[in-house]
Amino acid sequence: MCETCGCGKDGEFTIKESSENDHHHDHGHDHHHDHGHNHHHDHGHDHHHDHGHHHHDKKEIPLNIDILSENNRLAERNRGYFEGRQVVCLNLVSSPGSGKTTILEKTIASMIPRRKIFVIEGDQQTARDAERIEKSGAPALQINTGSGCHLDANMIQLALKKMEVSAGSVLFIENVGNLVCPAMFDLGEQKRVVVISVTEGDDKPLKYPYMFQSSHLCIINKTDLLPYVDFSVETAMANARQINPALEFILMSAKTGEGMKQWVEWVEGLTD
Amino acid sequence: MHELSLATEVIELAQREVGKRGLTVIEEILIEVGDLSGVEADAFESALGLIVKGSILEGAEIKILRTPGKAKCSGCNTEFDLSQRMATCPGCGSFPSEIRGGQEFRVVSLLAG
Repeated sequence: MCETCGCGKDGEFTIKESSENDHHHDHGHDHHHDHGHNHHHDHGHDHHHDHGHHHHDKKEIPLNIDILSENNRLAERNRGYFEGRQVVCLNLVSSPGSGKTTILEKTIASMIPRRKIFVIEGDQQTARDAERIEKSGAPALQINTGSGCHLDANMIQLALKKMEVSAGSVLFIENVGNLVCPAMFDLGEQKRVVVISVTEGDDKPLKYPYMFQSSHLCIINKTDLLPYVDFSVETAMANARQINPALEFILMSAKTGEGMKQWVEWVEGLTD
Repeated sequence: MHELSLATEVIELAQREVGKRGLTVIEEILIEVGDLSGVEADAFESALGLIVKGSILEGAEIKILRTPGKAKCSGCNTEFDLSQRMATCPGCGSFPSEIRGGQEFRVVSLLAG
């Protein structure tokens, strides 16, 4: 909920520029149609299902509709938009605190002289991450999901209407910190990058297989802390490869700069 | 929290589908939740039960069909059933190379009028 004006009830999300201090938020709804009321249930009656009844006034309607099909449809539209504008879109996913925002700050500093960068930030609350990104030199749009736990394709589509992403640029989407739900929601990205830090345990990929299965690159971050933690890089990589044999890896310390060059080259490689 | 947003999707989907057909009452909805869909079937069923009030699904019988996962072994190529993503082949103990079933999360059918 917006602390300024109380907008953004449960189920609604808000999209704002990081520097907005006034109330010009876009309010997104996950779905655009009315929630019709159903007046046909008399709450005074018991609702027995008597199996002897003939349901001849009700018919079986086969549907076989994938529940996430609407999200997938919108994701493909986003994907088409990116391809049409030659925008490389990357979806960064991880637990909270793995270092995604710091990685982005350093990436922007490195790439900005040669390449236009745009960022969409996702958090439950605050525009803090978008503010950090703007300070590092790239335009950022903040999506606050309120009580929501992931970004979805609809939110990205609405964000793209607010932020003009230049042709030939790179768009980073920093997803809500969560290794569970974002795995299920295609945003239309070209590649999904999962970030884990060495403080999280090398069995992480086994515990959150859906996220590692759906990612293309795994950044193992905070390598500067390796002397202080019981984390085996080899074990982490082996575990992740069991879930996803094609997963690529980059060892990184956003703090010291280790791995940054390799990462930027990987991103640049996608722009060809 | 997450299963709640999925339950919301199902309510919206059901509302759309009956609306398209000019129907008003749903007596029963059959939802398939594969063991490898990433959706926790029990949590989803509870979440749906919590939020149907006032929606098109209030009063409808909610049936959850759970389907087992099917995978092809990376070691010996045989197919085996699995109920969790991290299960190994009962024959040779290898991890699956390919998931072939159990990833569905869909509304199978409605009984409506």
